[in-house]
Amino acid sequence: MSMSERDVRIPEDWDRSGLPGWCYHSPALLELEKEELFKTHWQIACHVSDVAEPGDYHTFDLCGERAIIVRDKAGIVRAFHNICRHRGSRVVANEKGHCRNALVCPFHGWVYNLDGTLRGAARPDSFPELDKHEFGLKPVECEIWHGFVFVRFKAGPQPSVADLMRPFEEEAAAYRMADKVPVDEIWTEETPVNWKSVRDVDNEGYHVAMAHPALQDLYGPSYFDEPFVDGVSRSFAEFSRDGARRWAVRNYIKMSRPPEYLPEHLHQAWVYYGIFPNAVIAMTPETALFYQEFPVSTGASLLRSGTYRHAAEDRQQKAARYLAGRIDRETVEEDIQLTIWSNESMESSSFEGFYLSDLEYGVRSHHDHLRDVLPVYNVEHAPREEDVTSLNASLGDNVG
Amino acid sequence: MTKTILDPDEFAQQRKVIFTDIGLPGSGYARYSAAMYFHKLGRLSLDLLEIYRRCSKWDHEDPVILASLEGVEPVTPDELKFA
Repeated sequence: MSMSERDVRIPEDWDRSGLPGWCYHSPALLELEKEELFKTHWQIACHVSDVAEPGDYHTFDLCGERAIIVRDKAGIVRAFHNICRHRGSRVVANEKGHCRNALVCPFHGWVYNLDGTLRGAARPDSFPELDKHEFGLKPVECEIWHGFVFVRFKAGPQPSVADLMRPFEEEAAAYRMADKVPVDEIWTEETPVNWKSVRDVDNEGYHVAMAHPALQDLYGPSYFDEPFVDGVSRSFAEFSRDGARRWAVRNYIKMSRPPEYLPEHLHQAWVYYGIFPNAVIAMTPETALFYQEFPVSTGASLLRSGTYRHAAEDRQQKAARYLAGRIDRETVEEDIQLTIWSNESMESSSFEGFYLSDLEYGVRSHHDHLRDVLPVYNVEHAPREEDVTSLNASLGDNVG
Repeated sequence: MTKTILDPDEFAQQRKVIFTDIGLPGSGYARYSAAMYFHKLGRLSLDLLEIYRRCSKWDHEDPVILASLEGVEPVTPDELKFA
């Protein structure tokens, strides 16, 4: 399917409600989300340029699981569980780094080759002969899409990342994202809201004119959202070359100079792909970036983001990237506040749920995707915590 | 058991690593991992492997010196030639 063949129309008579409030503070539901959403769906761990050289590694923790992404001696990017086969210790303890020669578990000193096979156990005389494959690091399913390293901890309903993103292949390829390099380290910040409140804000542009003065100044009139269809949404906006009032926006527009390989119709575009359930890849003429959120608890989430630039960037492009980053940082701070306001309403006895605009159909389409995975989201009033899992299973049986 | 065919390039690489300069960041783990490689080939004793393990956390710790202090025979570059 191509991008133009996606049915992104908003239905005539759609249910404008959101998820029931209890879904935002139920520990039992959160456990289901961890197992059936986060571990079974593709997650962006890093970019190939975060592990540019053999021996470079980056770790990625998610809902009790932990992965290590490492480039082996042959240059292949591999993903393993960051768990020593001896006692389960983290094989690498730092978030990122470079291991010279091999991975050495800091607990007892088991040594693993960069392809994950066991080189040898510490004090090998205290063990029988160990098969290097049987006792090698366990692989994590891994796929690279335009430079972004995706991992999946458990088999799930999504196709390969390439198939999932197929409608956008031509547009994404134009940005040559695999060739980009990190602007900085991957950024993380904990925020005091349920993860779905982050996504609810991010899945609609209705709030842009009110809440994001810089974005509105940059591209407000042209912005539009396409809802989630088969697991992916798309938002698109173009800035114009005149009329901006804010300093950063005005100078960004002045400085922005797309790379020579970018097609003309994308020269002023900011494009966002929402990848169900919890990630976005965004492209501007200057950068490609990802952001995502993970549950820490029902009332706390970890925001995580990485930004990548052209490897050969001149001073003007660097200045434009700096200004784009400034606009983005301002937007993120504003969004964080919006998510807090939205999330706190879920605890109020007077909260009667969302009543969504046509401009927020993206929120509904995300919720519908959630309902397809966990039918218990359809239950209007909070079930007893101890019944959530069985209720979800029985509703799934009824649907099936 | 299948016999591993020795790769001369890998051997040379590991030989270089085990004699990495003392003090370089990450060199403790690197030396120990190379020592494991040579132990598996039967070219480095169990006692000496343990010396490299004990030194691995400290990049400034010289396994050759610790081996000498503890009466363990170290390996020299001449002893680790491809053969």
